[in-house]
Amino acid sequence: MQLELLHTLIFFLTGGFLVFMAITITRDNSTSQANRAFGAMLFFAGLGPLAMALGYVIDPNGSLAPEFLGSPLYALHHIWKFFFPSLLIFSWLFPIDRLSHFHHPRIRYLVFIPQIFHLGMALLYQRLMGLLNLLIESSSDDSFTGMILAPFAWIFQQLMLLVAYVRINDQVIFGLINICYLLTAVYFLETGRRYLTNPRLQSQTRMVTWGMRVGLGLYTLAYASSTFWRSSYADAAGTYLLIGAIIGGGGFLVNAIIRHRFLNVQLFFRQSMINTLISSILVGLYILAAMRSQSILEPIFGAQAEVVSYLFILLILLLFQPISTWIDNVIRSMFMRTRTDYRNIVERFSRQVISVFDPQQLHNSIEEIMKTSLLVDQVYFVIFDDSLGEYAILKSNDQNRRIVIDRQDMMLRGINLLDTPTRYTALSSYQEDSRLAEFLTDKRIRMVLPLKDSENLLGFLALSARSAGYRYTAEDFNLLGVLSNQMVTALTNARLYVDSLERLRLEEEVNMARQIQLDLLPSRPPICPVSIISASSTPSRTVGGDFYDFIPLKDKNRLGIVIADASGKGMPAALMVAQIQAILRSEVNNGNSIKQVLENMNQQVATSTSSEKYVTLFYAELDQTNCILHYANAGHNYPLLIRANGEVELLETGGPIIGAFPNIKYASDSVQLRSNDILFFFTDGLSEAMDTDDVEYGEVRIRRFLVDHRGEEPQAIIDKILADVRRHDPTTPPQDDTTIVTIKMSNGTPQNE
Amino acid sequence: MKLTDRIQDNIVVLEPKGKIMGGPDASLLHDKLYELIESDRKKIVIDLAKVEWMNSTGLGILISSYTTLRNNNGELKLANVTDKIQSLLTITKLVSVFDAHDSVEEAVKSFE
Repeated sequence: MQLELLHTLIFFLTGGFLVFMAITITRDNSTSQANRAFGAMLFFAGLGPLAMALGYVIDPNGSLAPEFLGSPLYALHHIWKFFFPSLLIFSWLFPIDRLSHFHHPRIRYLVFIPQIFHLGMALLYQRLMGLLNLLIESSSDDSFTGMILAPFAWIFQQLMLLVAYVRINDQVIFGLINICYLLTAVYFLETGRRYLTNPRLQSQTRMVTWGMRVGLGLYTLAYASSTFWRSSYADAAGTYLLIGAIIGGGGFLVNAIIRHRFLNVQLFFRQSMINTLISSILVGLYILAAMRSQSILEPIFGAQAEVVSYLFILLILLLFQPISTWIDNVIRSMFMRTRTDYRNIVERFSRQVISVFDPQQLHNSIEEIMKTSLLVDQVYFVIFDDSLGEYAILKSNDQNRRIVIDRQDMMLRGINLLDTPTRYTALSSYQEDSRLAEFLTDKRIRMVLPLKDSENLLGFLALSARSAGYRYTAEDFNLLGVLSNQMVTALTNARLYVDSLERLRLEEEVNMARQIQLDLLPSRPPICPVSIISASSTPSRTVGGDFYDFIPLKDKNRLGIVIADASGKGMPAALMVAQIQAILRSEVNNGNSIKQVLENMNQQVATSTSSEKYVTLFYAELDQTNCILHYANAGHNYPLLIRANGEVELLETGGPIIGAFPNIKYASDSVQLRSNDILFFFTDGLSEAMDTDDVEYGEVRIRRFLVDHRGEEPQAIIDKILADVRRHDPTTPPQDDTTIVTIKMSNGTPQNE
Repeated sequence: MKLTDRIQDNIVVLEPKGKIMGGPDASLLHDKLYELIESDRKKIVIDLAKVEWMNSTGLGILISSYTTLRNNNGELKLANVTDKIQSLLTITKLVSVFDAHDSVEEAVKSFE
């Protein structure tokens, strides 16, 4: 009795679970052929155990009346064998669709014929026999009708003889057919697996194939035992083997679904599968325990057994909830948190992708995740390339084969309007005259993921169909939306990283330029018998547009002195300064007059650079024999000559700035210097230093300062005026390049007048 | 710098306002000039009354505007040159190059 109860329970639970799974899988994605076929297969497989459970319920002793065994109701249990043709059809659809090439795909339903025949035969045999008897009776008299009916009766009788033979041997014949179906299905699944490149799809198929193999093996053993070894033990063995086949095969399928997201069943359904499984096992155990308790307790507790049994049931009820939660947690931690779980995909994706700064590597990881986790066949990137200034299509493992897309491309404009992952078919209105659309259509793109930061389209991902006929579900859309946001962050990070590398490189170059510029400045002022010379130059950036130089001339008694300020700041100004310095030295070395030097220099600069680039420059030659300064001023701030008595003279003579206009004539002048006179050359960084109220330091203040400090040494004057200017404008670094050259004539030579 | 323009007696008067410095100011003025040259308006007065300050790059912009117009057979005149800019023009000795006038009216008349 107890054993039968256990059988009933196991059959009922297994059957119920299979039917539940069938409904779940079909409902989850009812448009997919593979899902429908697999659902049908599980549904029919579930009917078998349910029918057996029903059999036990109707007749617990297994001694069914012969009338019932022959009734159509009993015959209906054969319907579960439709499982075999359904499985065969499924193996044609998954993992590769072999039916789509057929002209008439409906032809596949022909595989149901043997099972339909079997069912029909079982249902109608008694009726047909009745009909045959009637026919034979009415054809046996000598009437006219009997004569006509006789040949039909004979043909019918022969047919029925054949049917009767089949019926007697139905287990052997249909069992063999079913085994053939199983074998073929396993063969198709196995060969289909060889075409797969996607590792996740392979593991799904491997798991399903193993389930089929286990089922096939056990079913064959059950078949063999009940067919060739006719005894009651064999029947029992056959039954257990069948139970084993269903539970074993079903177990592999459940594992494939829950662990490998086989058939893309949603998380919600996979969880409910686990819950159903756990609750049914626990409920079964609970019923068994509750029923057994009475018989176990009675001999021990005697009359009080009933009370104790209620206590026992209460205890079981109390334990039910915690045990079920515990099992649930164990199973969930073992199976659900896998690579196929969407929460895990997002987590893994952010971990992998956010830390990748190399764009190439980033593309590779995105592609890998799309392929393994989402089973996407092909992934194409269209990314805005900063260096090209264009959008380019690239397959991540093939950087060099890029295709550049015209920015006016209709399809690109269409994609630019999107914010979320979108089906490609929704973009059909942008296909006209679009090269991009041609490419995407050619590659059978199904899905487009725009990658947008706050305002710009950084690019997009184009995804082809998913492998093995999987479709993009609503859940996938959500996931792709989240992933594309993370990709935007990652792409931006990668871009910033590249930018920062580039900036570092530029900084290094600028530092080298600074070194070159420092080397071009005189390391120390020349020692001059008639005067003391000091100089200082501070660029506002790493490199600057000011310079000064002391040039020894062919006439050893003359010293060339120059101060200059190029328009603009930073690197462009520094390049200009280097050019000016080179031209000046070569012109001076050619022995030209001051006027000639400036005219030649202006001509060269004006014709080689655009007119907004110019230099203000003051060039002088100090004759040390007679202390006469010959000079020309090309648009530079007037240098100051502070006489020993405090009078101030400006050195204005010359011409316009260098480099703005060609064909300019310059004039030169000379001035007699006397002992303790101070020459003060400076650039506008000094005079135009502004305080917080935009008031310039100004030439008036410079003049007054120099007059007040005219008794001091040149270096002290420079240090003090710079300190005074810093007090006026404490901005560091200074807003503009600041350069000063100060010359103080020595005592004695030549004599004051 | 902000730039507005108007036409007075068939002469274009450009009115920059604020500080003339490098960067965007240069392209702003250049684009305007090329636009005017395209539409065959090559006699231009720049009214500097509202220019607070001009750095070396700003002066470069004025120079290149002058050169651009001259190369296209046009003419540039300045009006309302403030003391600061006047002294800048004096120091750089560009006074002789730029034709500067005390008022826009005078500058416009000088084209006749």
